[in-house]
Amino acid sequence: MAKGTILIDEDRCKGCELCTTVCPFGLVHIANHFNAKGYRPSTLVDPEGKCTGCTLCARICPDVAITVYREGV
Amino acid sequence: MAKILMKGNEAIAEAAIRAGCQAYFGYPITPQTELLEYMSRRMVELGRVFLQAESELSAINMVYGAACAGARVMTSTSSPGFSLMQEGISYIVCSEVPAVVINVMRGGPGLGNIQPAQGDYFQMTKGGGHGDYNVIVLAPTTLQEAIDLTILAFDLADKYRSLVTIIADGMIGQIMEPVELPEIEPPQRPEQPWALTGAKGREKNIITSLYLGGLPLEKVNLRLQETLEEIKGNEVRYAEYMLEGAEIVVVAYGTAGRIAQTAIKEAREEGIPAGLFRPITMFPFPYDRLDEVAKGVEHLLVFELNAGQMLEDVHLATRDRLPIHFYGKMGGVVPSPAEVLAEIEKIASPQRGER
Repeated sequence: MAKGTILIDEDRCKGCELCTTVCPFGLVHIANHFNAKGYRPSTLVDPEGKCTGCTLCARICPDVAITVYREGV
Repeated sequence: MAKILMKGNEAIAEAAIRAGCQAYFGYPITPQTELLEYMSRRMVELGRVFLQAESELSAINMVYGAACAGARVMTSTSSPGFSLMQEGISYIVCSEVPAVVINVMRGGPGLGNIQPAQGDYFQMTKGGGHGDYNVIVLAPTTLQEAIDLTILAFDLADKYRSLVTIIADGMIGQIMEPVELPEIEPPQRPEQPWALTGAKGREKNIITSLYLGGLPLEKVNLRLQETLEEIKGNEVRYAEYMLEGAEIVVVAYGTAGRIAQTAIKEAREEGIPAGLFRPITMFPFPYDRLDEVAKGVEHLLVFELNAGQMLEDVHLATRDRLPIHFYGKMGGVVPSPAEVLAEIEKIASPQRGER
């Protein structure tokens, strides 16, 4: 499996939670802090490095707030 | 025309630009901020006026000033900001100048939160500020409708020389949807002999909302009421969905109307004869049409994102001739279609619910 990670542009996020519903490993969650607009942004919780960079979260994001990095592409 | 994907706030902003909005004054507030941000970019590109005021009070008074000068002008805000604008709105209405105000409602009361809600219904449809007045209130359910109603708002404001509002909410402001933006020729606006354009070579115009002494102000009030009667006669708008053979009719507007529509489709699939009556003009409220619709049905279910505000208008429209149920969520909580469906099911099967 490829190794990947994501970078979330927190200030673009409106906390709609769509990304949290599509991650095959359940790695994307809503953070406890607020962004500049006052929404709780989504965040990657991946201590075991399970993210494969599959891009599902980025594809569903209506606000194009997620950038995906994948190793060795 | 090609469809493009847009965010609600930006779609409303672009619609206003295409409708020929010449000046925008506003103050940022979530969940409306993208509207102001879009205007800050596009209005400047087009050589029109964009100004971020120091407060909502200031913004609405700038709108008042520009409207007096005959400009096509708007502002946008969200609930707490809309409260701050009430004084200016009352002045604008009394002065009989055209302007458009977008309210992307959030949870209240107080500073509340930034989630979608419909708690400003009373404030928007029953006047809001001091004095005897109402303003036209248009309620979009989809982004396409938000675009079309924004364009309509400017024309109605001109037609009746009054203030027109859009009652949207955090859902409409934040969702993204494919929309079609109409290409509009330079807008046809009525003559504005009343506008303050410089009195060189003509009698001077005076625009004011101060009429000392009793009789002059009564005259203004009578004229305002006359205009409101005209609006009630001409501008009632609503949408109906699956009303054929419906025994339970849900009455809902805006985001709630959209959730209700999905719930009704599912209810029909279950064999429950449900339908939707969705007012588009919250003022003037479609009292007569709703009364007519209610004559052929057994139950009404009013669904709002508040404690039951439009509910009062539904009681008035139908004079309580049939059971009127209410389902609402407050404080920015948005129920799923399944929750509304459950309410419809309760009414349909009395043994399952209270009735």
